[in-house]
Amino acid sequence: MIRIAAVGDVHVDKDVVGRYRPALEELPDRADALLVAGDLTRHGTVEEARCFAKEFGGLAVPVVVVLGNHDHQSDQQDQVTDVLQDAGITVLEGTATVLEINGHRLGIAGTKGFGGGFAGACASNFGEREMKDFVGTTERISASLREALHSVEADALVALTHYAPVPETLVGEPLEIYAFLGCYQLGQAIDSAPTSLALHGHAHHGSERGRTPGGVPVRNVAHPVIKQAYNVYQLLSGDIEPALTSVG
Amino acid sequence: MTNDIDLEAEIQRLLTEHDRIAEQGITVQRREHMIVLNGEVESAQRRDEICRQISARFPEVEITCDIGITRAQAPSEVEEIS
Repeated sequence: MIRIAAVGDVHVDKDVVGRYRPALEELPDRADALLVAGDLTRHGTVEEARCFAKEFGGLAVPVVVVLGNHDHQSDQQDQVTDVLQDAGITVLEGTATVLEINGHRLGIAGTKGFGGGFAGACASNFGEREMKDFVGTTERISASLREALHSVEADALVALTHYAPVPETLVGEPLEIYAFLGCYQLGQAIDSAPTSLALHGHAHHGSERGRTPGGVPVRNVAHPVIKQAYNVYQLLSGDIEPALTSVG
Repeated sequence: MTNDIDLEAEIQRLLTEHDRIAEQGITVQRREHMIVLNGEVESAQRRDEICRQISARFPEVEITCDIGITRAQAPSEVEEIS
């Protein structure tokens, strides 16, 4: 059994430091790892990254994150990443990591993701250079998630993004902005691998639960959606751990 | 109150692009005599700043603020994924 705590869109600045910490201190009793689905900061500054590292760093469980669009606002995403990694936080962008938990290998592949839209209302790689750049970014980032998912061997595989891979978890948002909240190519990448769970944020007014076309469970863990410090998801529930088999 | 048909759009952009706000998760709805703000933010300071900045930019607009502060307590339940 593996328990994953997850939240997104925490938008930490100095006015938020201390709000999450009491719940985060309880994590070792509640989950084996914490995943944060982007928008760690308000404007993506180094100072805000330090606030996030102070609030979410130094925990007794591993912390794995992707950046969100807010974390790119100041064009300091590389420095933000450095601050987080110096605090012991793993930052994924088209990459993957494996955590050894309770004798199992938990693979986590992550990327910020990007917009682009979904079936029936998606952007095409056609026309003005700006549109081709937009959709080219969608395709490039989605391909990097696909490669990251395929780069690890794990007992359970989690896809971590900021942007949404399916429209179901956007329900509640205006239809007109779906194309700026996610893209179907992320869902295709997730379906191309034996993914156990896909986590994303970004859609503050969206819905919590969905599935990819291939049937992978998707959870929108944006803080305003889950309305608590983090959700906890249990994977590999069918696996009885050796320590438990001897009981009763 | 202004009759500007783009008012909601202009407020929405202010909420996102203003240095002291940077909020994309606030909805702006026009009522007969007021603008209603909905959504959740991470601190009371951020909620108050939103109202302050909108009032400064659009002094003729009456604002009703229904913005909440997102709770940050630990969860009490675990969801089993299958």
